[in-house]
Amino acid sequence: MWLFNSIFGRLFEFIFFPFINMSPWIGMIFISFLTALLMLFIFRFTSNQQGIRQVKKKIIAHLLELRLFKDSLSITLKAQGNILRYNLKYIGYSAKPMLVLIIPIFLILVQLNLWFGYQDLAPGQKAILKVKMEEGHDLFDINIAIEPSSALNIETSPLRIEEEREINWRFLVKEKGVHDITFIINGQRFTKKIAAAQNPLSKISQSRVQRNFIDELFNPGEAPLPGDIPLKTIEVTYPPQRMNLLGWHIHWLIVYFALSIIFGFSFKGIFKVEI
Amino acid sequence: MKHFVKTHKFTILVLLLLALTLPLQAYVGPGAGFAFLSSFLILLLTLFLALFSFLSWPFRFLFRVIKGQRAYKKSSINKLVIIGLDGMDPALAEKYMSEGKLPNLKKIKNIGAYARLQTTTPAISPVAWSSFMTGSNPSKHNIFDFLSRDPKTYLPGLSSARIGKPRKILSIGKYNIPLSKPEVKGMRKSIPFWKILGEKGVFCTILRVPLTFPPEKFSGHLLSGMCAPDLKGSQGTFFFYTTDKEKIRKRESGIIIPLNKNGNTIKTYISGPENTLLKKEEEIRLPLIITVDKEKEEALLEVSGQKIVMKKETFSDWIKLTFRPGLGIKIKAICRFYVSQTHPHFEMYCTPLNIDPEKPALPISNPFYYSVYLAKLLGSFITLGEANDTWALNEGVLSEKAFLEMTYSNHKEWENMLFNAINKTKKGLITCVFETTDSIQHMFWRYLDKANPSLEKNHTKMGVKVIEELYQKMDELVGRVLEKLEKKSDLMIMSDHGFKSFRRGININSWFYLNGYLSLKEGKKDSDEWFKDVDWERTKAYALGLGGVYINQKGREAKGTVQAGEKTEALKKELINKLTGLKDEERDTVAINKVFDRDELPSGPYINNCPDLIIGYNKGYRISWDSVTGKVNGIVFEDNIKAWSGDHCIDPEVVPGIFFCTKKINTTSPSIIDIAPTVLELFGLQVPYHMDGRSLLDGQNLPSDQNKKEKGKKK
Repeated sequence: MWLFNSIFGRLFEFIFFPFINMSPWIGMIFISFLTALLMLFIFRFTSNQQGIRQVKKKIIAHLLELRLFKDSLSITLKAQGNILRYNLKYIGYSAKPMLVLIIPIFLILVQLNLWFGYQDLAPGQKAILKVKMEEGHDLFDINIAIEPSSALNIETSPLRIEEEREINWRFLVKEKGVHDITFIINGQRFTKKIAAAQNPLSKISQSRVQRNFIDELFNPGEAPLPGDIPLKTIEVTYPPQRMNLLGWHIHWLIVYFALSIIFGFSFKGIFKVEI
Repeated sequence: MKHFVKTHKFTILVLLLLALTLPLQAYVGPGAGFAFLSSFLILLLTLFLALFSFLSWPFRFLFRVIKGQRAYKKSSINKLVIIGLDGMDPALAEKYMSEGKLPNLKKIKNIGAYARLQTTTPAISPVAWSSFMTGSNPSKHNIFDFLSRDPKTYLPGLSSARIGKPRKILSIGKYNIPLSKPEVKGMRKSIPFWKILGEKGVFCTILRVPLTFPPEKFSGHLLSGMCAPDLKGSQGTFFFYTTDKEKIRKRESGIIIPLNKNGNTIKTYISGPENTLLKKEEEIRLPLIITVDKEKEEALLEVSGQKIVMKKETFSDWIKLTFRPGLGIKIKAICRFYVSQTHPHFEMYCTPLNIDPEKPALPISNPFYYSVYLAKLLGSFITLGEANDTWALNEGVLSEKAFLEMTYSNHKEWENMLFNAINKTKKGLITCVFETTDSIQHMFWRYLDKANPSLEKNHTKMGVKVIEELYQKMDELVGRVLEKLEKKSDLMIMSDHGFKSFRRGININSWFYLNGYLSLKEGKKDSDEWFKDVDWERTKAYALGLGGVYINQKGREAKGTVQAGEKTEALKKELINKLTGLKDEERDTVAINKVFDRDELPSGPYINNCPDLIIGYNKGYRISWDSVTGKVNGIVFEDNIKAWSGDHCIDPEVVPGIFFCTKKINTTSPSIIDIAPTVLELFGLQVPYHMDGRSLLDGQNLPSDQNKKEKGKKK
């Protein structure tokens, strides 16, 4: 899985490379545009284009019927019934491409979450470092040590929360850059990357997880931890990022969703896709 | 239930998945977004329109009451359906009825009425249908022929409509950018009866009635019929593609496009409209690539971003074409292809470029979105006025079989529209005219007349029964409409004229030339089209169109020679005397029954636009092909050897139409101008004074004051 995540991650790094020093909006617009093209392509080849075309024609016809026969209650009602019927049929035609689209879109969304989901930390900013342990290990018995890089300062001794199976530290960022923090557990060493004030658009991995298909799928930013250790995840609580639009702070997913739809509708004619 | 589950497994699975994934839609991104956004918008729009419709209904009702539209208050019926079968001939209808071949028409005759319907002078479709809709004689509606002439140039123009250029134009560089719409002006005057009905709140759907282009605004639905142009602005220009050099010659109403084959590939084009955006206008061409598969006897057409596989001798569906004159403007058209041969030569027919009803370049319906509605609901359909391509058959580009296939395919489209209107009209009027009867009779009449010269040249086995089958098909249509009629509904079936054989053509212009009424330029013994070599300064009379003769009158025509008044009257009398009873010596037959003086025809405000004389040809005769187009030569009578072998542009008394009605009528000799007053009476409305026709009912449906007037008129 890591190989796939690594390649896919590299692809996104390549895509976003020209935009890392620009406003995140530029990167968002670009990736929304690319996604729209991909979606149009998939939609065109997985949907019943002729069926969608026919159904849409019928819907428009019955909408016009509402206007043309506005004085006839029975025709108006029948037209509304037909609109609903064809609308359902339309949704039915869209179901197949939708199901096909779930897979690539999911993978894209997970990658985008790395780029747009969190703000990186600024020098002087504090954050929590969480280590989650596997069941069956006594948190108080584990021999865990932490070695931060010189750019980080661990401010607290480990806080063990038995119910959450977590050990937490608070740390302070002293310098810009991507810093490593190393854990030594029962003699084994594991690192976690911590991002601090890189570029306006930067890739931030919140969690490093143990080798597990589902967990790796959702956390593709770093190589997985070995599967046979008591450590389950290492997580940094980065502040969530919002896209700023004229003072409105909007979740990146909404922006991405809206932009990709707008691009999709704008370019469907050029690529002759019926949606 | 089990069966339902079994047969709808996929649907159920999809619905389940949808139900489960609804909250996740946002995460599925644009794919689902496309579908759900569209669906949501449609639902929202539907609800809004429904709400608007409900809430505005009381206001609309009040508005109608205030305007005096108390529809159906005095109406004796709820619904009236009028089926126009253009050119259905009474003699044939009576014969087939007596042979039991038209049971539905016979049924109507028995329960209601049947009579021969007096047509107009001249007996030409645009004239007759204009009289049908206005209840008036031609001098009141201004249509006297297919063609009218410009007295300044002696050139013909379409009598029904003028399509002009936009009034305001912005000139930038090589472009002339229109700032207003092109002027489309209808030339038919007077008021159609459906406009009167609409004003009174009677709901009307008018389908394909001739002379309804451009569509007039009225309170009802209308789709234009005969005289609606194609995208090239003509009344129908077909295309014939061929690699056979021997077949490349001028074809009437068609463009021949020679092809060069490179291996199996042919690169050619579709000839579109003139690009009026350019200062120096030029034809817009659409690239067309044809790949011929000799073995499979098929061709792959690539045009306008589409790939169409054409089997030999099969019509394509309607193909959408987009012409781009520039500046981002798109002109939409639809057409059908027919590959008649793949080897040794490749030959293909393409229909005239029809205005796309889904995106009409010119208005073809009222309201304008009615054609959009019909196309979305029923599929693309032919919009050209002269829908059935008789010229393609006449010119040998289409076979009889292909022509019939295309004609009945067009007919089917109109039937679908008719039944859609019948199903959606609880109360009101539906009128639909089918030109199928006219076109097929024009092209197949020779099989009913062994003396027709064209039979020898154009004879196929399949032709013999075509007209009989046509009448039977129309009878079946009538039967299906009868089944749809509810209580208080009536049906009228009528034709604008009948038919007779067209054996011999008379070139009236040649007769004028040979008898000293028309002169040619020095040294000329004949003249090409449109009087090219006519010496107008020495010409007294000329014929133009299908029945009209004009005096070259001083002060009216640009180079007039005959004084208005006594001189003109004397010349008219002289011509009437000489032409009436004109004999075809070769056949020892009278070719012209009578000549009508326009001053003796019913008068009206547009009588001055009427030809000075209208010729009533005898059975078997008609104006010759050459004379219609203004050619002059030394031959007066000639055999008609074209497939177009039946006609009606003759003495109106010889070609009455048919009239069937599910109600009894008060006369045995109804006229086409009586239908409009009859319809108004059926819906309990007063007949306006400008109408020349009389109601065919006995008056019991008229409002009381009108009843008195009608009785007074009859006395």
